[in-house]
Amino acid sequence: MKEYLRYFRFWFLALGIAALVWLVVFVGNRALDETTERTNTECTTTERVFDFGEALTEEEENRLREQIAEREEQTGADIVIVTLNESLEEYARSYDPYADYSEFTMIYADNFYDENKFGYNKPIGDGILLLDNLYREDDGKVYTWLCTTGKVEDRYSVGMIDSILDLFYEYVDSDPYRAYSEFIDRFYRDMTGNDSLEIPWYMAPFAAFIVTIIFAAVNLTSAKGRKTTNTRSYVNGGKPDIRRKEDIFLRKSVTSRTIETSSSSGGGHSGGGGGHHTSSGGHSHGGGGHSR
Amino acid sequence: MRRKAKYVIVAYIFIISDSPGVLNGQNLYTLLCAGRSSKHVSVKKQRRNGEKMIFKCRNCGGNVVYSPEKKSMYCPHCEGIESQQKMEGTSEETCANCGAPLHAGTFSSSARCEHCGNYIVFDKKVQGEYEPNLILPFKIGKEGAKEILKREFKKRAFTPASFLSEATLDKMEGAYVPFWLYDYIAQYHYAGEGTKVRSWRSGDKEYTETSYYRVIRELNIDFDKIPVDASIAMDDGIMDLMEPYEYKDLEGFQDKYISGFLSEFFNEDAEKLEPRAKRKAQSDAEALLQESLSGYSTLRAQHKQLNMDRLGFFYALLPVWVYTYSYRDQKFPFYVNGQTGKVIGKTPMSMQKLAGYSATVFAITFLIVNFLFMICKL
Repeated sequence: MKEYLRYFRFWFLALGIAALVWLVVFVGNRALDETTERTNTECTTTERVFDFGEALTEEEENRLREQIAEREEQTGADIVIVTLNESLEEYARSYDPYADYSEFTMIYADNFYDENKFGYNKPIGDGILLLDNLYREDDGKVYTWLCTTGKVEDRYSVGMIDSILDLFYEYVDSDPYRAYSEFIDRFYRDMTGNDSLEIPWYMAPFAAFIVTIIFAAVNLTSAKGRKTTNTRSYVNGGKPDIRRKEDIFLRKSVTSRTIETSSSSGGGHSGGGGGHHTSSGGHSHGGGGHSR
Repeated sequence: MRRKAKYVIVAYIFIISDSPGVLNGQNLYTLLCAGRSSKHVSVKKQRRNGEKMIFKCRNCGGNVVYSPEKKSMYCPHCEGIESQQKMEGTSEETCANCGAPLHAGTFSSSARCEHCGNYIVFDKKVQGEYEPNLILPFKIGKEGAKEILKREFKKRAFTPASFLSEATLDKMEGAYVPFWLYDYIAQYHYAGEGTKVRSWRSGDKEYTETSYYRVIRELNIDFDKIPVDASIAMDDGIMDLMEPYEYKDLEGFQDKYISGFLSEFFNEDAEKLEPRAKRKAQSDAEALLQESLSGYSTLRAQHKQLNMDRLGFFYALLPVWVYTYSYRDQKFPFYVNGQTGKVIGKTPMSMQKLAGYSATVFAITFLIVNFLFMICKL
């Protein structure tokens, strides 16, 4: 046992250090997570889940409210979910007669945010609102809008908005609750700067397996002894005498080929300020929409 | 420049030594060129008549042996230093000390008497054609070698714990192993065509540029004392692993160095064993050429020629400690380089330990990786 501990002392030390680093990072993160208290006193409601479209059960709504309360504190931003099941054509056209189908939900979402004075730090301040209108408009489509405001607007680029809406659309038809829940968690990760590393579950055991194989192999092969001579061991002066070394350029040829590009998904997560516009009330919002 | 001149002289001697009765080229070469390590081989001592002899202590009559720790002749009985005097034996088959029959091997040039434990040197086997050009005296003594082995066993993770306590030292010998050391000068000519490939992107196009070069190399490689063991009893693979010896400690042969050790004279002659040395030199030359050709994506040889000239060879005795342990009816031989302390040999393997240790490695790595992933995720 003593021999065993002695042999693995550096291994255990490494494990201890890894655990310690994790603990420090974890505690540090917790400390950083403690954002300032909510300072918006003018907001007219404490409600965050407005299920006008009856997409969720009462119990699911409550669970989302709990999740939102926790994430709002961590992100320092209001998180609002709205579902509708009605045509917004008349409503939107009353604000903008030339509004496109895709803009109906934007107008409604912006106004809803402004009217309720959402915002974590101040009225119409930091926050995000996800509006899903289940009603099929005359063009045959169902529209969704993500409205970003304040620091959330600064953070979210067009690419990030697309990405989070894609995630939402992945589940919204089959399991609306899960779609909203995933949306909230993704929002948290996006805001706290942890572009989540999706590490498959088998990576850790796989890595450990590889190291173990190497460990066993090294100890098995070292059973006899290693070769410690090299190609220079018996060369006088340790290196050959290079009498002639010529590299004469003869010619060159250049070939080219066209690269088949898949749709340019560029952009990335930096930038922010995606979909910037001003609402009818004169407030700045960011955002973007999807339809299905 | 000086060396070149030396080789000219040597070449000349090789030519003239073809005629009978002229000086032996190998030994002359030795006289001239052993100076690479700036040590000159001692001029041959005058022949004695005896078949064998023993180093006796002038003070107490005990057997004087060479002590690597003291770097001198030492009498273990009276602790006298350099108190040796040679005593000739009378018969070939009996011990020069006690007269008991000796059971020495065919190729032995020194042996230990099984009865009185004295070390007998077979004069005739270290004289004349059998006299080594060089010897590398033991630098590590018996106790030193034992310590090195103990440390080595502890390092080997899968050695059963019982091996360290149960294994008994069956046999322990310091032995001088005969080696041939060959010098070569190699010239490698290479000419070929090499390509270097570079690619870059511009817009939606990928460009690949291939540059063609004429590649010429001319390497002179001066191989110094490539060793090949000349003992049939010693496994070639094990002796190769024993290398390298550091040649700075080579000395001209003196018979006192083999007192206290077993030794053999060469079992096979230099010509017969040369192919092994040549193979080693050729593969090293090839590797050195490849090294000098690095940087090309592809290479096509048009002309490739390796010329190797043997400059000479030496007959040398190199030191090895052989320890044989008995463990549960099995023998485990270990070889310790008598100069550098390098250990070659297999320890038994404990499968339980292998499984247990591997499982621990798996568990610890698994946890560390998980912690790292968690840190990344935070």
